[in-house]
Amino acid sequence: MARRVAVVAGGHSKFGKRYDATMRELCAEAYKPIYDEGITQDKIDATVLSYAASQFTGQGAGSALIADYLGMQDIPHLRVESACTTGTASLRAAWGMVAAGLYDVMMVLGVEQMNRVSSATATEYMSRAGDMRWEYPYGISFPAFYALMASRYMHEYNMSHDILAKIAVKSHHYGAQNPKAHLPKEIPFEEANNAIPICRPLNLYDCSLITDGAAAVVIAAEDRVKEFTDRPMWIKGIGAGASEMMIQDRPTLTSIPGAKRAAKAAYEMAGVKPDDINMAQVHDCFTIAELIAYEDLGFAEPGKGPDLVENKENYHDGRIPVNCDGGLKSKGHPLGATGVSMTYEIMKQMRGEADKPSRQIKDVKYGLAHNVGQSGQFVNVFIFERGWS
Amino acid sequence: MVLMSEQKELYLGYATDKAVTPFFQKFLEALAEEKLLMSKCTSCGTEFLPPREHCQKCLSKAELVPFTETEAKLRSYVIVDFAPETLTSKAPYVVAIGEFPSGKRLTAHITNLMSMPEVGMPLKLGFEKIDDKRITYKWLV
Ligand SMILES: [Zn+2]
Repeated sequence: MARRVAVVAGGHSKFGKRYDATMRELCAEAYKPIYDEGITQDKIDATVLSYAASQFTGQGAGSALIADYLGMQDIPHLRVESACTTGTASLRAAWGMVAAGLYDVMMVLGVEQMNRVSSATATEYMSRAGDMRWEYPYGISFPAFYALMASRYMHEYNMSHDILAKIAVKSHHYGAQNPKAHLPKEIPFEEANNAIPICRPLNLYDCSLITDGAAAVVIAAEDRVKEFTDRPMWIKGIGAGASEMMIQDRPTLTSIPGAKRAAKAAYEMAGVKPDDINMAQVHDCFTIAELIAYEDLGFAEPGKGPDLVENKENYHDGRIPVNCDGGLKSKGHPLGATGVSMTYEIMKQMRGEADKPSRQIKDVKYGLAHNVGQSGQFVNVFIFERGWS
Repeated sequence: MVLMSEQKELYLGYATDKAVTPFFQKFLEALAEEKLLMSKCTSCGTEFLPPREHCQKCLSKAELVPFTETEAKLRSYVIVDFAPETLTSKAPYVVAIGEFPSGKRLTAHITNLMSMPEVGMPLKLGFEKIDDKRITYKWLV
């Protein structure tokens, strides 16, 4: 049987429009706190670079550049690309290598630099993650894929846009308390509900941000964990799922089939149920994505996600706190960094190290990360367990 | 990919990709004559819309055959206000997934809407020559 693996350390850059830095400097910001904890280059056996979209930078061989910049020029590295789920895909790859015994200690470093091109160009690049032959020719931008889900969801469950706006309000409420967030400001409900349309029914505040940033975590095999921390966060369950490439071919638009499959696999591997989860970091690239995630992860029955929102069960002191760091919506969504940032946030919450008591979730034993690629073609769900009492 | 010189240069909708295969070229040439083709597996008979050259089930070659359904229902839609760079001048435009009675689906623009689209509304298959090289299927209400 595979060795147990734990997350033992993490670091996180400031997210935002980082015109003061490019991907190499962002990665240094994410690794520095880990280095300062004593996990120097010589303690790391290999790294995985989570870097989703090289078209934004033009930089090829990204993992070589970053390894060199961080003083790991002689340490094995590789790059993973799985669109917006690259972060947890990288963690999954690294977990496999450590669990199998190939390496004992690995660092997963997620980064994206997206703001050196215009918004229209960024939208263009991201639309190319749709089917280039059949979807791209109709100008289906990244938000458009989720708007197709939103229109259908609103129709099937007779839901108004108010619910989506309330999710945005919650995200910004917590993002405002996160010093690492890209857009750390509260948004009033009326503003969130009536913002300029981007892809109707989705408006500006339904959409995540185009963000520069990096995040890093170090994982270690169980017999090495004690060298690094007495507060390990065990990787308890990993589930991966897939869905049809073209959104028109999905059997449903009110759920992401691959997310359900990923969740089922993760719960089974971890031996826990949705009720056992104390907090979740879900992939809210759009507000509708967060709503659908509640249902795909089993926190609400199909069509009942809106009740969870209305009752504020998704707040830090609610039944299932979700994205109390601001999420992709307010903290930001640097594609390759996102899944790593989710992992980092769960570790900080478990350790009781959220920036402010007003966003600290109490007594986190199990945390879940739900990380979706493109519009659901690939999904990773991780369940982490607190390794101390 | 280099096009053969005698081959007419055609693009589907607002595609930017010049790379066509003989199979896709045949689909586009039929589309230019307002004929929509699907594909049918030569081994197991499975049908695909939009067409695939290889069967998704058995990976055998699939051949292009006429698609004859013309009426569909709107499965979902989006009004794209903020478009990708290549379509900025066309925004806002409406993209709809339509479902035919057989269950086959097609994603295209609705071009003649006078009011807000609604899930479940009837759609008719139409065709349009956007310019000399660009052709498309589309939805009409
Ligand atoms: Zn076949």
